[in-house]
Amino acid sequence: MYEGGIYRTNYKEIDMENTSQVPVTVLTGFLGAGKTTLLNRILTEQHGRKYAVIVNEFGEQGIDNDLVVDADEEVFEMNNGCICCTVRGDLIRILSGLMKRADKLDAIIVETTGLADPAPVAQTFFVDQDVADRTKLDAIVTVADAVHLSSQLVDHHEAEEQIAFADVILLNKVELVEDNDIVKVNDRIRKINPFAKIIKTTRCDAPLDEIVGLNAFSLDRVLDIEPDFLESDHDHEHDDDVTSLSFVSDTPLDMDKFQDWFGNLLRTKGQDILRSKGILNFKGEEERYVFQGVHMLMDASPMGPWPKGKNRSSRVVFIGRDLDNMNLKEGFENCKSA
Amino acid sequence: MNADLEKLQETNKTELERRGSIFNIGAPATEAVTIRDQIAVGFGDGTVRFFQSGSDPKTVKAHKGVVLSMTNYDDHVLTGGDDGRFLKISSDGNIEEIFNFGSKWVDCVASHKDTKVCSSGKTVYIWTKNKDKPQTLEHQSTVAGLAFDNKGKRLAVSRYGGVTVWKLNNNKWTASNYTWKGSHGTVTFSPDTKYIVTAMQENQIHGWRINDKADLAMRGYPSKIKSFTWVGDTPYLVTSGSSDAVCWPFDGKEGPMGRKPIVVANGGKELATFVKALNGEKAVFTGFTDGSVLLAEIDESKKPIMIRSSTGAEVSTIAISSDNSQILIGDMKGSILLSSLWADN
Repeated sequence: MYEGGIYRTNYKEIDMENTSQVPVTVLTGFLGAGKTTLLNRILTEQHGRKYAVIVNEFGEQGIDNDLVVDADEEVFEMNNGCICCTVRGDLIRILSGLMKRADKLDAIIVETTGLADPAPVAQTFFVDQDVADRTKLDAIVTVADAVHLSSQLVDHHEAEEQIAFADVILLNKVELVEDNDIVKVNDRIRKINPFAKIIKTTRCDAPLDEIVGLNAFSLDRVLDIEPDFLESDHDHEHDDDVTSLSFVSDTPLDMDKFQDWFGNLLRTKGQDILRSKGILNFKGEEERYVFQGVHMLMDASPMGPWPKGKNRSSRVVFIGRDLDNMNLKEGFENCKSA
Repeated sequence: MNADLEKLQETNKTELERRGSIFNIGAPATEAVTIRDQIAVGFGDGTVRFFQSGSDPKTVKAHKGVVLSMTNYDDHVLTGGDDGRFLKISSDGNIEEIFNFGSKWVDCVASHKDTKVCSSGKTVYIWTKNKDKPQTLEHQSTVAGLAFDNKGKRLAVSRYGGVTVWKLNNNKWTASNYTWKGSHGTVTFSPDTKYIVTAMQENQIHGWRINDKADLAMRGYPSKIKSFTWVGDTPYLVTSGSSDAVCWPFDGKEGPMGRKPIVVANGGKELATFVKALNGEKAVFTGFTDGSVLLAEIDESKKPIMIRSSTGAEVSTIAISSDNSQILIGDMKGSILLSSLWADN
């Protein structure tokens, strides 16, 4: 092999703030949970919005919609083949095609197949610059079958991952389940994912504006985690179970210490950390800082000043496997400013 | 330096824009090709418009959604759309549907003489003269680029993991694979057909010497390379994707191996998004993220000339009429500049 030599340049980031980004909703869920029902609603209801829907072998006949796009779920590695650079190549191509449309889309919905790992879809929005410039990941919505979820969580780690990645979970088919069983399923979901919004539905009958166009990935919702779930729960049965841990601190954090710890954590343990989210109060900073991560990839930005009269407390949440062996509590405590 | 080029240097941006016509189509310009004295442009609203100096463009409502791909075919254009249609269109508005793929997009098109080619998904479809049914070539992943060599004997098909070069022998296509990890997009043969080069989904281009499959990795770009063009007799492969037009020399036995590229047409903080050779000259037009276009010789000591000033929308296509008299520049907001390249006297 021979190389043409390395060409380098002084390149400054382009200011993309003025470019509007189309929100993208990623729809996951196990076979039979009700994803198709939801897609049909999105495609047929008179919601007055223009949605493009990217599907995999969508069998539904009779839907006359030129905004349904067939995709082949092509997952592949970019760059040096590290897991965080596993992306959906077809999605990059399709999204760039959709961005050439003359009419403005209100949102794009990406359906994934039942057994798909949601990580490559989410990572596409971090890794590919063109995609990141023109679209933004709005929310990962997982449709779960209230009847079968408990057994699916035992049998398929994909089901667990789909719950872990979700920003919104439609707990569907609740009409077929006794009330106390719904509570059990709800608790099981909470143990995996404390920050997702759970909507109980029959035939996925939640209002579409609670599913599409949420800005859930914008992290504001980290603030809304119910306090009950901020208490860490350690009584899971297997080490490879997906669990969550969260920490709160009223003492301001030291920015340098946090960056060192968190950067190193994602580099070394990112494979096991499925999602991370947080809102941070740094010493000497007037603004709130928010971050969110998918495996080793992370986005962080200031999010305006703290609301007046509200407690300036930092909160971080981790969802993943083997979290107990990452010294997360100790690491977070060490970030407190002296 | 060529006298015409000198003349061109005397003009300035206001001059080229002043004597030209500006059309606001309102949909992104996606592709442009030259057919005789006309330039056909595909748009994000599904139209193909034929531009000609001195008259209004002729509009053909071709596709429902976006014109994704376009190439010339005799005095027609072939287009592929996100409505799944593969079309042959004449400038008088005559549309012939060659095939309808339904909800699958027609991502790429190519042609050579009377052979029409398109790709949809992982399959390449080839229509040869007088045959209704296409031949099909299958690939392991979605096709992202198509290119014939200048004799039409070889067809390069880019995809994930490399390029398949199909060779036509006795009416049969046989495959040869050129492998390099990653996702490969637009593909081109060098004019002497000794090399194939692809633009990758990562910030690099990749080439192979065809006879021994030797790899050529050309890296260091700050963004994806969306456009390249062969310039001059050397020839240079000029690429977008950086704040300059990056020109790799493909002369000698080894091409750009171990050599540094020439960089011309500096756009400051703007990135080059489209490049187009000026036929017959060692010069290239470079369009940038802000809509500006520079004309530069492949010579770092020469100053580039401003052809079009900033419009605020990235340059998505440039075409030159076959007699080198007209230039058409299109951007992502659908603004088109059609202008005479040369001052009247």
